[in-house]
Amino acid sequence: MSELDGAGGNLHLDGQAVHRKSYSDLYVKFITLTLICSVVPILLVGYGIYRYYSEFSTARMEEYFQRKVEYNQNVIELFLKERTADLTLVALSHPLEYLKEPANLKRLFGILNHKDPYFDDLGVIGENGKHLAYHGPFDLMDKDYSETFWFKGLLAKGVYISDMFMGYRKIPHFIIAILRSEGGTKWILRATIFTESLSSLLQNVKIGRSGEVFLLNEQGIYQTSPRLSGKIMMQSPFDMKMFSGDSGVRMLEYDSEETGLPRSRQVVAYSWLKEPRWLLVVKQDQAEVLEEVSRANRAIMIFLSISIIAILIVSVITTRHMIKTIQKRDEGEERLNKQLLQASKLASIGELAAGVAHEINNPLAVILTENQLVRDVADEATSFDGEFKQQLYESMDQIDAQIHRCSRITQNLLRFSRRIKSKAEMVDINACFTEVIELIQKRAQTSGVQIVTEFEPGLPSILTDAFQLEQVLLNCVTNGIDAHDGKPFGTIRVKTRHDEKRNGIEIRISDTGSGIPPEHLDRIFDPFYTTKPVGKGTGLGLSISYSIIKSLGGEISVNSEVGKGTDFIIFLPLGSQGAGREEPAPPS
Amino acid sequence: MQKARILLVDDEEAFANNLSKLLSRRGYAVAVVHDGQSAVRAVDEEEFDVVILDLRMPGMDGIETLKILKRRKPLVEVIILTGEGSIETGLDGMQYGAFDYTLKPIQLDELQEKIGQAHQRKLIHEAALDTGKDA
Repeated sequence: MSELDGAGGNLHLDGQAVHRKSYSDLYVKFITLTLICSVVPILLVGYGIYRYYSEFSTARMEEYFQRKVEYNQNVIELFLKERTADLTLVALSHPLEYLKEPANLKRLFGILNHKDPYFDDLGVIGENGKHLAYHGPFDLMDKDYSETFWFKGLLAKGVYISDMFMGYRKIPHFIIAILRSEGGTKWILRATIFTESLSSLLQNVKIGRSGEVFLLNEQGIYQTSPRLSGKIMMQSPFDMKMFSGDSGVRMLEYDSEETGLPRSRQVVAYSWLKEPRWLLVVKQDQAEVLEEVSRANRAIMIFLSISIIAILIVSVITTRHMIKTIQKRDEGEERLNKQLLQASKLASIGELAAGVAHEINNPLAVILTENQLVRDVADEATSFDGEFKQQLYESMDQIDAQIHRCSRITQNLLRFSRRIKSKAEMVDINACFTEVIELIQKRAQTSGVQIVTEFEPGLPSILTDAFQLEQVLLNCVTNGIDAHDGKPFGTIRVKTRHDEKRNGIEIRISDTGSGIPPEHLDRIFDPFYTTKPVGKGTGLGLSISYSIIKSLGGEISVNSEVGKGTDFIIFLPLGSQGAGREEPAPPS
Repeated sequence: MQKARILLVDDEEAFANNLSKLLSRRGYAVAVVHDGQSAVRAVDEEEFDVVILDLRMPGMDGIETLKILKRRKPLVEVIILTGEGSIETGLDGMQYGAFDYTLKPIQLDELQEKIGQAHQRKLIHEAALDTGKDA
């Protein structure tokens, strides 16, 4: 029994190890699956939102920059148109003769500048490129312009607006010149514009922290001073080929070495002016432009992270809970399997026992009848001598006794092996036990043992198998009587009690016998285990009792003290579900 | 009271013959057969009060034999005497009308007592049947 148990134990341990591994596998699988099923869609949605929002905001940003460029272009073009119109008016409305007079020129200069001092000087230049008249802060009367680039350009076009240049005065400026034909003579009205007036128009446009608006000429030279980077007349870091078409928006990497500004990505919107060919540029740090976008993206990222963490936590918790449930169920199943295994083991032992009992019973019956025949014949015989006859009768008595002993063994074996269907009925335990005790009282008395009953009156009836219960009582009481061997007298106390706390009935059978030593105590329910002298017990009584009580859904336990006695404590639950079970549960 | 007429059905010849001798010595009229078919035939041919029947036999087994016997002669009382201890088959036997169920080996006194009781019951049944007929 214990050897079998040991093997079972090892098997169980191995099984558990395997299970634990498969549980952790299952755990990992489950969490991975949940994460894939929930996190992947979230990431996809997040990515989608991010992409959509980025595209949307880029489009909006481009539109915004285009509008800015357009607006500033209008401002510049309007400014230039107004100044050109001013000069054209003066040139058309006054004949050369009038303008030649320095006083007249001064008066007109005053009128032109009376509201805003846009004009720096005003001059009338003859066909030969020499001043006919001049009003301004510099002494330019004897300058010859015939070889200058603007003079040549003007003769071809009629109206000319120059790029910024340093000219004779070494200050950045630009000029507007109008060609006029009066009769056969051609003359030119030329004005210098304050650079500041144009610069201030753009410098005052503020776009965020890093935004600036400025003008470039075709060679990429600053025509106005940008608010932050560069100065007028300096070469800008831009590759002018980039600005193709009339207008557009570009992203470009800004190199710190060339600009002295931190390396950054810039958004550059531009538009070409028609006359002169200047490039209006609106520029801003991309980081600043996209600040709002990246803030939104950050919010999305935080939201996604929180969702993922929440899913992770929930899936870990639910998975753990599920695995635990599965584990519990598996354990229950395993327990059941173990019990079934034990039960089937016991059942096959029982079958074997039944077979043996049956095979032995038949020859025993023959021997018994033979013995009886001999006895019959001997009774009638008269020719035996006395001594022989006495010996014969003694032997025959002994044969009967031994047959009786054998048949007790086989009957116990059969009882152990039989698996009768429990017949569940409402049983009054007190009444049922009273009958049994009446039966056994006589045997007890011959051993000097008194059976005392302490039945709790009004004990509730219990759904169980009366016959099997009687069997158990009989076994325990018989055991108690046998425990008084060698004692002249003793008591067996049978007590019944309604245990309300555990909702069942407790039966306590106490004897004052020799007691069971502790080393035997945990084996007394094993089949074939007996401490009685050879021939006195089969070792099956308590094992049968154990099986019966287990099959009735109850519990049986034993307390014993050597020299003082033994207590069998049986507990039967009320409304026992065990009644009707066919398989006796194995002792463990 | 007249001693019962007994039919002993057991495939274990030594046992059957011994028991037959013992019972004959005690004044019973005993016939012995060793299988179910013979038992049925014997009951058809002769009148018996009590049948002592083994359960495990080659050919027709005890329960089957019991069923047929009880159908043919409902008043005959059957005592099952077997080495096979399954109470389940015992209860089966009782259900099919056996008078008692007892396990080998059995002391002769005990068996005689059971035979007496079975015979008694048969007589009572017969008497009841007779008065029923008369009435």
